[in-house]
Amino acid sequence: MGSDLVEVLINSVKLVLIFLLMVQLVPILVWVERRGSAFIQNRYGPNRVGPFGLMQLLADAVKFVFKEEFVPGKGHKLIFYAAPVVALIPGALAFAAIPLANTFHLEPFMFLGESWGPYDINFQGYNVGIGIVFILGVSSLGAYALLLAGWGSANKYSLYGALRAVAQMISYELALGLSIVGAILVYNTFDFHSIIAQQAGALSFTISGRELGIPFLPNWGIFYQPLGAFLFLVAAFAETNRLPFDLPEAESELIAGFHTEYGGMKMLMFYLGEYGHMLVASALLVTFYFGGYQLPFVSHVMIEDMLKSFGLGINMANVLTAFLFFTVFMIKCLIFLWIYVWVRWTLPRFRYDQLMDLGWKTMLPWALANTIVTAVVVFLARI
Amino acid sequence: MITGYLFYMLAFLLILFSLGVLMHSSPLFSSLNLVGSMIVLSAMYYLLQVPFIAAVQLIVYAGAVMVLFVMVMMMFDLKHEIKIFSGGFISNAIKCGLAGFFAFTIGATAFMSTEMISGSAKVKTEVLSVKSMAQLLFKDYLIEFEVLGVILLLVAVGAVALSRIKGGTHAS
Repeated sequence: MGSDLVEVLINSVKLVLIFLLMVQLVPILVWVERRGSAFIQNRYGPNRVGPFGLMQLLADAVKFVFKEEFVPGKGHKLIFYAAPVVALIPGALAFAAIPLANTFHLEPFMFLGESWGPYDINFQGYNVGIGIVFILGVSSLGAYALLLAGWGSANKYSLYGALRAVAQMISYELALGLSIVGAILVYNTFDFHSIIAQQAGALSFTISGRELGIPFLPNWGIFYQPLGAFLFLVAAFAETNRLPFDLPEAESELIAGFHTEYGGMKMLMFYLGEYGHMLVASALLVTFYFGGYQLPFVSHVMIEDMLKSFGLGINMANVLTAFLFFTVFMIKCLIFLWIYVWVRWTLPRFRYDQLMDLGWKTMLPWALANTIVTAVVVFLARI
Repeated sequence: MITGYLFYMLAFLLILFSLGVLMHSSPLFSSLNLVGSMIVLSAMYYLLQVPFIAAVQLIVYAGAVMVLFVMVMMMFDLKHEIKIFSGGFISNAIKCGLAGFFAFTIGATAFMSTEMISGSAKVKTEVLSVKSMAQLLFKDYLIEFEVLGVILLLVAVGAVALSRIKGGTHAS
């Protein structure tokens, strides 16, 4: 919570802001998805409402709010209403546990005639202390939203979609978890801040006492765990039910899968959940394999000192640096979100047996092999 | 202070969900209540300062085992099951008997445990870190841990074998 009023205030505002950030990114991503698909398929996409069709988002929001409430006659009302809410929770909880910028220090300052501080502020909703394990735990609950939606709708297509989705999510959760284990072994910690701190500077590592380094590459996890990063990316596609793994809502087979019966705000909440999951997956990928919020070769102390030399106060310099790192983090995330869109409109959908084969017979063995090889190498390197 | 209030709130929720598991006539709602109780249990683990076990509780039980349970429940004809389960003299008699036995067990436990708490039984209060837990699992209790793994593997193989048998109840 915080020790005094200002800290409590900052922490509360932070939680609300991070949630709003996640929610507000969704319309923009939907726009990117539509315009991106149009760009890839040599069409125009929505371009009539406002500049570049951006106002289409507002029009959609108004449409969502004013749509008719609808509950299927044979469905279960409580479960039907609960499912979209449950869909929103895991993504929001998980995203709030990821650090978005460096921890910055505030010197004592005057506020409302009193002196407050000093504070050290995490640019993060909350710090659970077990980092990635918490996120895996929370996001594994995402399956219930689809199950509840499928069953509560009392619709064959919904149920088929939900069952497919859950079988797929459970299968790929194994590969997802195992692909991260390699990275955790390399970093030797669960804590995000420590993981990101270890990716600072140029690529350098010690093998049996000898220092090796490549000065022109950043010290990012992707260079230690290329296979792990690739497996994580693929498993994240399957976990978020995006093409080429969108069997749960395969429109040519199941109409729209688990959200066939949903419309208006309730369907929008499923969208928020799905894009929230994408955002969490991108943020994890950036945190584990692409240096998190760090700029390559530049530490936050350097930028703070540079800003101070321009004559800014200490607090102002620290806050501005944190916002710069936050921007860096978001840009990295957006690059991966664009890859999601790109892949969606490039690759066709798998057949269901191919999907299961890929999950159990290809990705799981490779993830296991990656874990074992990493464990052996890490063990030998630390002797 | 806040931790105390949170504990009682979570304990109340846990009891509520657990009662839901027992009271609901539909197995689907029972299992959904069980999911709720497992999530609350994980929050309680976190409150007791074992965050790793809390997260593992979420991943393994709430996120994987119960998902499979709920998924299987959804494939049954639940109305038929409820009808079989909730009618008839014999089933009512069994239910009343079980409820009586349950109440007796709770009462007896509550009655007997007052003396046990007042005794000198000390609760271990040290915080269990991931490292010390791993050392317990992979050093002190390695054989037990591995044997459990093998038993689970046997159960999985047995389940697959049983599901592939033609004949018996599966004769078509």
